[in-house]
Amino acid sequence: MSTDTQPPEAPPTSTSAPQLSHARDLSRPGFYVKLVLMMLVNAFGLYGIMAAFGQEQWVILAVLVVTLVVADYVYFSKRSIPAKYLMPGLVFLLVYQIYVMANTAVVAFTNYGDGHNDLKGPAITQILKTSDRRLDGTPTYPVTVVDVNGSLGFAVVEDDEVLVGTQEDPLEPVTGAVESGGRVTQVPGASVLPLAEIQQRQNEVLDLRVSVSDDPDDGWLRTDNGTMAYQARSVLRYDEAADTFTAENGTVYTADPAQGLYVAPDGTSLSPGWRVFVGTDNFTRMFTDSRLQGPFLSILLWTFAFAILSVLTTFALGLLLAVVFNDERVKGRRFYRAMFILPYAFPGFLAALVWKGMLNQNFGIINQTLLNGATINWLGDGTLAKLSILGVNLWLGFPYMFLICTGALQSIPGELTEAGIMDGAGPWRRFWNLTLPLLMVSVAPLLIASFAFNFNNFSLIYMLTGGGPNYPGAPLIIGETDILISMVYSVAFESGVRQFGLASALSILIFVVVGFISWLGFRQTRKLEEII
Amino acid sequence: MSTVAKIELDNANDTRLRGVRWWKEVGWKHLFAIAMIAYCVFPILYVLSAALNPGGTLTGSTRLFTAVSLQNFTELFTNTNFPRWILNSFIVSTVTAVGTVIMGAAAAYAFSRFRFVGRRGGLTALLIIQMFPQMLAFIAIFLLLLTLRDIYPFLGLESLFGLIAVYLGGALGANTFLMYGFFNTIPAELDEAAKIDGATHAQIFWGMIMRLVTPILAVVGLLSFVGTYGEFILARIVLARPENYTLAVGLYVWGSDERNAPWGLFAAGAVVAAVPIILLFMYLQKYIVSGLTAGGVKG
Amino acid sequence: MRKSIVAALVAGMSLTLAACGGGTATTTPAPGGADTTAAAPADAGTLTVWVDETRIDAFTELGADFQATSGVSLDLVQKPTGDIKTDFIAQAPTGEGPDLIVTAHDATGDLVSNGVVAPVELGNVIDGLSDASKAAFTWDGQLYGVPYAIENIGLVRNNALVQDTPATFDELVTQGKGAGTQFPIVIQQGDGGDAYHLYPLQTSFGAPVFTSSNGEYTTELGMEGPEGQAFATYLRKLADEGALNANIGGDQAKQAFLDGQSPYIVTGPWWTSDFVDAGLDITVLPIPSAGGQPSAPFLGVQGVYLSSHSENALLANQFLDYMTSEDAQTKLYELGGRTPANTAAAEAIDDPIIAGFAEAGADGEPMPAIPEMAAVWNFWGATEVSIINGQAADPAAAWQEMNNNIKAAF
Repeated sequence: MSTDTQPPEAPPTSTSAPQLSHARDLSRPGFYVKLVLMMLVNAFGLYGIMAAFGQEQWVILAVLVVTLVVADYVYFSKRSIPAKYLMPGLVFLLVYQIYVMANTAVVAFTNYGDGHNDLKGPAITQILKTSDRRLDGTPTYPVTVVDVNGSLGFAVVEDDEVLVGTQEDPLEPVTGAVESGGRVTQVPGASVLPLAEIQQRQNEVLDLRVSVSDDPDDGWLRTDNGTMAYQARSVLRYDEAADTFTAENGTVYTADPAQGLYVAPDGTSLSPGWRVFVGTDNFTRMFTDSRLQGPFLSILLWTFAFAILSVLTTFALGLLLAVVFNDERVKGRRFYRAMFILPYAFPGFLAALVWKGMLNQNFGIINQTLLNGATINWLGDGTLAKLSILGVNLWLGFPYMFLICTGALQSIPGELTEAGIMDGAGPWRRFWNLTLPLLMVSVAPLLIASFAFNFNNFSLIYMLTGGGPNYPGAPLIIGETDILISMVYSVAFESGVRQFGLASALSILIFVVVGFISWLGFRQTRKLEEII
Repeated sequence: MSTVAKIELDNANDTRLRGVRWWKEVGWKHLFAIAMIAYCVFPILYVLSAALNPGGTLTGSTRLFTAVSLQNFTELFTNTNFPRWILNSFIVSTVTAVGTVIMGAAAAYAFSRFRFVGRRGGLTALLIIQMFPQMLAFIAIFLLLLTLRDIYPFLGLESLFGLIAVYLGGALGANTFLMYGFFNTIPAELDEAAKIDGATHAQIFWGMIMRLVTPILAVVGLLSFVGTYGEFILARIVLARPENYTLAVGLYVWGSDERNAPWGLFAAGAVVAAVPIILLFMYLQKYIVSGLTAGGVKG
Repeated sequence: MRKSIVAALVAGMSLTLAACGGGTATTTPAPGGADTTAAAPADAGTLTVWVDETRIDAFTELGADFQATSGVSLDLVQKPTGDIKTDFIAQAPTGEGPDLIVTAHDATGDLVSNGVVAPVELGNVIDGLSDASKAAFTWDGQLYGVPYAIENIGLVRNNALVQDTPATFDELVTQGKGAGTQFPIVIQQGDGGDAYHLYPLQTSFGAPVFTSSNGEYTTELGMEGPEGQAFATYLRKLADEGALNANIGGDQAKQAFLDGQSPYIVTGPWWTSDFVDAGLDITVLPIPSAGGQPSAPFLGVQGVYLSSHSENALLANQFLDYMTSEDAQTKLYELGGRTPANTAAAEAIDDPIIAGFAEAGADGEPMPAIPEMAAVWNFWGATEVSIINGQAADPAAAWQEMNNNIKAAF
């Protein structure tokens, strides 16, 4: 660090808010802009409060009231100047990001996932719905929906006899009804519902069950489409008081609130189950699954290697390009720069597909054309696959680094470089001693963020190698290029049954690790800032 | 050594270097640029080849440009929702980029110029929050927008503004640090001087600081624009109807069916989609590098 | 400042609860299922249908026809193919999901276990649908959804290169080698393998993935034992002969066939129109047997599922009823080019390519629809790749290990 250059002024250590009077405010156009904006914000908030009141969304109402009060205080008080600048971004952050975090955190303590997709009420409804089954060997009937003194009923023809029944009264023969082609068209004392009315009252028609006879074993008639009725009976009986389902063979399924399932004594259960809280089960499973212990260490090492090397390679190339082409003597540098961000302008998933094709051992252009017919197994060999991933990630990632370095370079005062030149420092020394440290002040946090991003860069791994080449014969589909987050997916979704609860818990564990490392790194950048 | 440096300085503006010195100082940069461009463009040739081929595969052949026709591009603009998607993407990306720049710059200003309780912790928290796994975000965002729709219909599902609001949730993130670092390099004496002249903090921010940090605003705006432009995971949850899609969602939908994917259309769409990004960057370049030239020319 | 952050945090947290609460309120009907709160629709009503990019045009036309007869209109929402099932499972409980979804039958297990689809009882009209297509949509003895199109893979021959196809796969490979092309035959694989495209060969050794009983798959593996191991050994033999290569993915296989670099390709109806458009003269044939028994590809059946959260279940059932008809299925065939599930509509087809695929799939069984199938596909494909590329030294042992791993994953 050359000491004789004038470092840029460190941020002020204290700034007192200027004490201004409202009288001075009134003479400023900015005050009126603020006033109008705050009127709009208040109108927006009040509208929402009224709407939330109307919808009886009490929590939202409370949130809106608090936010509005805070906003008015912040912007009309003289004291909270930093808050004036932070609040807009924070509001969005809290609503859209903290909410997602909270949601994930809650899910991590539940068994949410396939088979436990909904709450208990809908699960019961669904079990009842699927247990109401057509009796084997019974015929179907062209059905007419009728209105008998205000209650809906069915009219069907059986053995040339017209039968009519309602929810309360079982089917009974009726005389004087008219039928045509097996379908009843007129019933004395009842009106026939036309199609449009059936459609309009569809839920009543769907729920209508007309007992076939006084014997409950004969079941009931029901229709799903308003034109055809069939004889059905429920194979399960729900006892609301005991919260049990009883099958026709006497098996009793009891609600198990720990699993979120109706379970019989023999261990079988009814589908679907429902969502319940399962405590910390999801968090401990990663440590108890013996199948993970083999590959875990190598995956952990590769995850770190991948994330660190990705940041270093992309940053090195991006920085190099930014510095090299920050030279106005290079004609056409505007065009060059535009070309350098091309990889950034194409959708990442498309790029991964293309690279995968290019790296194909027998048919890829890299082996076939560039390497003149070589058969290098880029994606099928463990080490090469890792190199390939880093190479592709370099292609995908350096334009970002190039952009931020180009931007950050502009903050380095020209005088400083000139001072270095006067000082006799060569370009290389100037870069290491002046440019890089100054650049790192603003770029280092982004490198940490980039590290964290790559640590969880599931989509690249997934698209390019799918984690492969797989460890042959391993009890989990895990491969040499799998990183922690893609391993989480293999574990949580491995058998095709998606366990969101488990996946959330595992990814939160990973977050804790990455967050901690980043926090350590961030403390280092603070020191960096203080040195300069 | 110091004489060489002086000559270098004198020649800083001289673009007519000749001979060996030109090659040593400038010429190699052109070669380097050409090599880099080859690296950047090479995979994209595949995409271009597929875009120009009316009925082919994306990566099936190493022989590129066997058939050349503009059929896919014509199809794109006549028989699909593609033009609409471009418009949607522009609206969403532009508003998000502007919002991100303003809110991010305001936050960076607060962090850079004021000392308040929780400042350091707040900065760290902003960085670390961005690392939270977004794996379940698609469910959470759906539930949130479903509820919001009852209160503010224009912030709910199937709304471009709903999507923009979701993206603005990430306005305070890593980019804030980029601006924060840049803001810190602006000498505080400038603020003090303006204050003595009677300027309020708002006038200092809007009138002075924002002008001085133009390069970084352009960079952050571009980063935000591109990030939003290519985002499809949340967008496809919020915008479920083809006429509401953004470009990224539309392309993702085309490319997601491995058997029936219209690769030609998909590739043509990707090529067309990349053009505005390049143009935007070309346009923003003068703001991004203006700081340097100003500083460099100054004697 | 700190205070306001705390306040905002609290606000954010409570918003979480609000959203959860909102979900609860809209999705908890009284036990017993009577939900009569829905307002009566003014018109005959609208059914929301999720459908993917490739099928939306066909359903748009079908919807117009249906509206003419019933007054009910379809509101078609285009979704990415791979997202229909997962998004539906996530969104149906909120009440925001569609009334109907159009997707492949192998979603049945997931949809039923999540309780998001309703059983369908259409009476005698389903007698017109083929048994295999109904079996595909049957779960635990109940029909969930209406099938309308069947697709399967077959052997596609480039008639310009070879004309007569022999009866066994070994002879076919020999013939293909003599055709003077780069490959005797292409069967797509890829890094993760592709057990689907190899399944006809596997079944010809008598090694189905699961055993069956009463027309439904059991969860007992059928590919353990000597038959499966014989197939595993045969895979290595094919790879040694150049008939199989793990680096040939879908793109490469299609391109090789388009370029006349292979007389045969094992593929489905999704690419034949590209072949015809490229000027190839092709014939679709059953895949010759490799192991002596008939080769039976998996059948993939497209159909329409009814949401159990639909507020328009009666209208939706009317649409499903209409979907089973010969007219509707013929129309969908004309617009989509897949064998109809309705047997009368299927018999009326005179397109030799579609008829060829139907013949190739005559012995086929629906792809298993159990949720665990994802794990099976992974292990299955990965093992086949390791056999084909020689990573697994002993094919039979690798095959046995795969069976053990699949059983462990269940």
